[in-house]
This record gives sequence, C-alpha cells and structure tokens, in this order.
Amino acid sequence: MSAPTHLEGHLPADHPLSPRRQYRDLPLIGRSLANYPVKDLWETDFARLPGPLARQRRRARAFAEQHLVPVADELDLAAHLPAGECHLAALEVLREAGRQGWLSYFLPRPLGSMPWRALPYPPIWQCSLIVEEFSRACGGLMLLLSAHHLGAMPLLLSGNVRNILRHLGPVYRSCERGDPHLVAFAITEPGAGSDVEEGEGAARAHPGVVATPTTGGWLLNGRKCFISGGDLARTATVFAALEGEGMESWTCFYVDCAAPGFRVARTELKMGMRASGAAELEFTDLFVPHDRVIGGLRRGWAINRATLNASRIPVAAMGVGFARAATETALDFAKRYTLGGRALIHYQDVQLHLATMVAETRAIRSLVWQEARGAWQPRQLNASMCKFHATDRAQVVCEMAMDLLADHGGLHERKVEKIFRDVRLTRIFEGTNQINRLSLMEDWQDQLLDVDQHMGV
Amino acid sequence: MIVEREDSALLLAEVDRFARERVAAATARAETPIGAAVLEQLSQEAAALGLLSTATGESGFGIWEHVDHAGAMAFNIGALTQLGRANAGVAFAWHRTALARWVAGQLALELDAASLLGTTLVSTGHYGLARTSVARWLKSAALHGDEVALLADWLDRGAHATVVVAPHAWRTLLWPVWSDGRIAWQLAHRDRLDVQPCRAQHGLDELAAFQVRDASSTAGLKPLDDAASRLIYGRTLKMDMIGLLAIAAGALVRGQELATDYAAIRTQGGKIIAGHPAVQRMLGDIEIARHHADVALASLARPIDDIDAGAVAATRVSAHALLCDAANQVVQVHGGIGYMCEAGPEKIVRDQNMLKLQAGGTREAHAFLAGWIGAFA
Repeated sequence: MSAPTHLEGHLPADHPLSPRRQYRDLPLIGRSLANYPVKDLWETDFARLPGPLARQRRRARAFAEQHLVPVADELDLAAHLPAGECHLAALEVLREAGRQGWLSYFLPRPLGSMPWRALPYPPIWQCSLIVEEFSRACGGLMLLLSAHHLGAMPLLLSGNVRNILRHLGPVYRSCERGDPHLVAFAITEPGAGSDVEEGEGAARAHPGVVATPTTGGWLLNGRKCFISGGDLARTATVFAALEGEGMESWTCFYVDCAAPGFRVARTELKMGMRASGAAELEFTDLFVPHDRVIGGLRRGWAINRATLNASRIPVAAMGVGFARAATETALDFAKRYTLGGRALIHYQDVQLHLATMVAETRAIRSLVWQEARGAWQPRQLNASMCKFHATDRAQVVCEMAMDLLADHGGLHERKVEKIFRDVRLTRIFEGTNQINRLSLMEDWQDQLLDVDQHMGV
Repeated sequence: MIVEREDSALLLAEVDRFARERVAAATARAETPIGAAVLEQLSQEAAALGLLSTATGESGFGIWEHVDHAGAMAFNIGALTQLGRANAGVAFAWHRTALARWVAGQLALELDAASLLGTTLVSTGHYGLARTSVARWLKSAALHGDEVALLADWLDRGAHATVVVAPHAWRTLLWPVWSDGRIAWQLAHRDRLDVQPCRAQHGLDELAAFQVRDASSTAGLKPLDDAASRLIYGRTLKMDMIGLLAIAAGALVRGQELATDYAAIRTQGGKIIAGHPAVQRMLGDIEIARHHADVALASLARPIDDIDAGAVAATRVSAHALLCDAANQVVQVHGGIGYMCEAGPEKIVRDQNMLKLQAGGTREAHAFLAGWIGAFA
C-alpha cells in the first residue's frame, strides 16, 4: 500500500491550491520573503541557536538515544534497591556520561568539558539544552546526571578559584576518567521543605542541621531528606546553621560522604524518575574541616538561593523534554494506530489535539530559551516564572498525550504513563510551583511597592 | 426488588464500615499493593456481606444487582464511592465483575459461580468511543456505510488488541462485538484468547493490564435483536461510566482527607500550611472537584433507563478532569512527600488517570456527544 500523499481534510502539497507550491513560483523578491524550507521542527531550531550550543544539543541527543533510551524502561521498573546500591545499567550510564563530558560541562578544558566555543554563552543555556534532551529520553537518568551539577553549583557560585581548583577539579577529572564522582546538593530538611526555598519561611524556621565548632573545623548533626543522587554521591554540598544561630547563619559545607558520621539512612520509592535515588542523609558528629567551608561562614543562604536561581531554568527545560517526549509519542501513536481503517492522524479532532500539544511544547521551549539566553546572572523572578510555567504546561501536554492514547494511555509499553510520572516531580522539586510563584513576587516587590511607578511586564 | 432510599442509606453504612475496616486497612500501604490472594480474600468477604454476588440474577443487594429504581442506583453509586475511597483498584475490580454479572444476567449467560473475580468486562471497543457512530447507533439513527464500517472495526476483537485491566487471574471476559449490523456480546474464555500480559500499568496497582485478541470471533457469541442490543449496550455503557466516576469520586474523598490532615499539621513559615492562602486555594480546588462530582453522581441516582447516555458522557468529561486536577493538588499540598509512594497521594493521581482512561477515555466523548445530539460522522 502506497503512503498517502496528504492528511485527510487537507490538500496535498502539489495541489494547485496549495500555497506552498506557489511560493516556489513567485518572483525572486516574493519568493525570498514567502518561500520556506520544510524541515523537521527540531532541526529548524538549529538555525536559531549559536553553533557551539547547537552542536552540544546534537551530541546530547545522540548520547541520550544511544545510552539512556535503551535502559530507561529497565531502570524504571527495576526493584527498589537498598541505599547505596546502584543498578549496573545506571552505573554504566554514569561511567559513559563521565567519559563523554556530561558530568563536567560547567567549566571549559582543561578543568572541565565545556567546548571553548560555548564560553560566550551562559552555561545555563547549554545546560538547559542538554537537560531537555536527557529528559526526553528518561527522566530518572536525566536526574541522575543533572543533580550532580546542582550539587557542584555552590562550588562555582562561591566564586573562589581555590574551591574550584581544589574541589571541583578532581570531581570533573574523575568523572572524565569514567570513574563517576557525583556531588549532591543537600538543603531540604524533614519538616522544612519549602522553608529552605523561601525567605519568609526561612526567617521562622528552626534549622534541622547544625554545625558545631570543633578543633580544625565543624561537626555536623542532623538530617536532610529527598536529596537527589544523595545515595550515590561521593561528596555533597550540605547547608547547615551554626550552633545557636538561625537560618541566617546557613553555611555551605563540602562534605565527604565516606567520612565517619555520614550515613544514607534510606532512599525513597518514588512515583517516577526512579533511576535516580532520593536519599535521606544522616549526619552524626560529621567532621568537616575549615577548608571545606564553601563561600564563607553565613553565606550559605545566598549561595543556596543563587543555586536555585541557576537550576530553575534547567528544571523548566526538563518540562520541555517531557512535553516533547509526550508529543512525539502521541504523534507516533496517531500515525500508526488505526480506527475504522484510517490512521488516527487523519481525523480532524486528533489533528487539533496534536497541534495544541506541539504549540504548547514549542511555546515553553521558547520561554526557556528566552530566559536561558540572558542567564549570566539568572534573576529569581525570571527563573521561577520559567520553572513554574513550563512545568505546569508540560504536565498538561503529558495529560493530553495520555488522553489521546485513551484506553492504551495507561500501558507502560506505550511510554506516556512513565513520562507523566516523571514530569510530575518537576512541579514539586526546586521549590513547589506555588513557592516559585511567590518567589517571582518576592523578587519583584521593590517595584510593586512604588505606587507611582509604571510597571512594565 | 425495590431498594428505598432509606434502605439504601442503611446498606451504605454497612458498606462504609466494611470499606474502612477491611478494604482500607488491607490496602493501607500504598507502596506495596495487595496481591491476588488478598484481593480474593477481600472479595470473599464482600460476597459474604452481599456486596458481590456469584449469581447472575437479581437475588440480593449487591453492586449493580438492581438498576431500575433510584434507591438501587443510589446504593450502587454510594457503594462504589465508598469502596473507591478505600482503594480504587479493588473498587474497579468489583465494579467490573459485578457489571459482567449484570450483563450476563440480561443475556441469560451462566458464569462460573465458584470464582468471584473470574469474569471481567470491557464495555467499549479497542480505542475510544467510536467517534460519533456508537452514539448514533444507540439513538437508532440511520447509519451510513462509513459509520457501520467504523463500528465493525471498533468492535473487531481479532484485528485489534483490546486493553483489559482486571485481576491477575481472570478466566472469562465479557465484551461487546459487532455482529450482523448490531452489537452482540461475547463471553470469551481466556484460554481461547490471545492474551498478552503487560508490564506494570500506570495505576490501579492491585490489578494487571493485558492486551487481548480473539482469533475465533464467533465462539461464545450471544446475538440479540435490534432493540435488546441497543438497550443492553446503552445500559452497560452508562453503568460502566457511572461506576468509574463513582470510584474516582471516592478516591478523591481519600485524597481530600490526606490533604486536609497534612495541611493541619505541617508547618511552613512558622505556621501550619492550612493557614497559607496558597494551600487554601488548593484545598478549595479539591473541595470544588468533590462537590462537582457529588452533584453529578446525585443527578445519576435514577433508574438506569431514565438516565441520558449523553448526560453521563458529558458529566464524565468535566468531572474526571476536575478530579484529576484535584488529585494533583493533593500531591501539591504535600510537597515532596506527596511524590513518595508510601505517602499515598501519588497513587491517587495515578488511579484517577487510569479511571479517566477506561471505557474509551474522555477525549472522544466530544464526538460521542456530537453524535448523540444528531451530528453525522
């Protein structure tokens, strides 16, 4: 059976009334203004990206398709392992990711793996492109590879070259040797999830992890929870209050996870993103020497918030990746699945549904790129807005995909149900989307309080 | 047998006690779904209580045993809501097996009396709701050729795999097929079907998903005349949709309890989160969805033949959408812990999604409704 020349309800491209055919025949000036190449939508975006970032994006897609996609289902359905154990397939992904530079791309060579030509562009932009590709392939593996960058971010944001050379350098070199050294970011405390992501809450919160001075350094005591990658991390950036002080004394400590007093108490069985562990970490008189205080005493709150500002745009990019995966899966289903002898894609209502999904996906990608493009110093307002809007809309797209598959949408084999479980986390972590809405307003309040100032949005 | 509303309330009080003390207790650990043995044990207890019947006639007060008066429908809806509150997977299994017994009774088919969960049912074709066609057929509209072909394809159990969500050990499947220009019913035995077990499905963890085909489409076929065909199919479709909505409403009741309990003890910013307008907004969303579902279900507590299939389909679209959104708000109220399996909210989201996707899902309900009000395919 020959392939159809057009979708039902539409004219074929070579029909005399097809405008695209006539564009080609317009005089030169008209042709140059109206005629356009018909490319794959993903490919189209290459022309809109700087070359070095476009190449990173293509590399990330190739890596994801070669190494993440084949093991995504296996790791999603695998038994929940005890804390500290890692599925072999995940370990192999980590090793290969390290060798290919996906665990060290926030710094250029020789310190990291960022292409020198990508240096003129904000690293957040590069990160967002990579995160979208990895999310499209598997949310859990994406998180396994991305939470590491979140953990390492305070080392960069401390602005201390010595910290970078002494701490981040060995991490990156180890990863590039194929010996993955993961870094975890530990802020969330039992009973205080949102308090560590929002100023007013922090002002009233009682610190759960406390640092007590001792000879040569500090002793940490307390617990952190829901720490992505905390079960496999070799080091962690742990935020603790100084003994006898409040959250304003928060300080970032660079912790050796093999040190006495560090324990992974448990890992959570999650709805999705199962290839990445969410760990509860327990510190009992955990000694941290002075030279592993990052950014200075009582600078932790600022480093924490700056880290969140840096990470929320890539979290929005996760939403783009999931929305794209859902849309591509739904498209594939609609092209192959038949009802009444016609592929679903030929039904007008299906076309309307898919058109909305494509528009939603590309709209949030545009938002992410717009914000990432200027994210040298990511502003809280922009990063939070980008995060909550992109992830909220991404979930809608995933729901639309499930609806399109109808009775088949709940089957694991159809893939969309996993994408939904994965996208669901993006509306919760890095601050719930409610907290992110408030973060937007918090960052905007100076201007909002001036009644005479005209507000431009 | 007439079940008055007062009788219905008394029966529901018993069901409520059973749902809380047995079903909810047995399934309390959301992260470790019950196995087939526990489901069978609970089913035996439900049968002993009279909730489930092994007979195919109207002998007691079980779910879907009576549908022809308001009190009975209020009982069916109320019981499924209470069971859905306890556990949506168990409620779904019982709903479908009870519905299968009701259909079998209409068709004078004998089912295996020894196995409570041995027979399950699918009420629709292999995908969606047959666009406008099945609605127009139910309305006795004159179908044109494409519509007949679409219905034949929709119910072609050999050409397309049908998704079945059911207890692991189901033995027979009752499903509608297209035969001689009308809908007939087929009681298909599992060992004669091509049954492909699927991996763990999105929700309803107590059950399993299968893709099922039938190579010999005439075995076990129960043909009907035109009027009986439309009547039984129309009733079955309505009952299935109402049951799914009742279970979903019950699941949200549980979600609402989780959210309000958590909001009352969890502090943020120095006060309980129920004091924050952001959380109050979400609790309000949950209450709106619950209220909408309650009103919708109350409007369906009427004799089954008095209920308009279009009204059921329309109600299903809006109510399931609200219930799914509300379940997501339950997760959101919890924050990070809401995403963890042991807490419970995430399962409610998955179960809500699954309930929305059964019986053809809700996306094609718009076409069904267009057909119902007279639009052509």
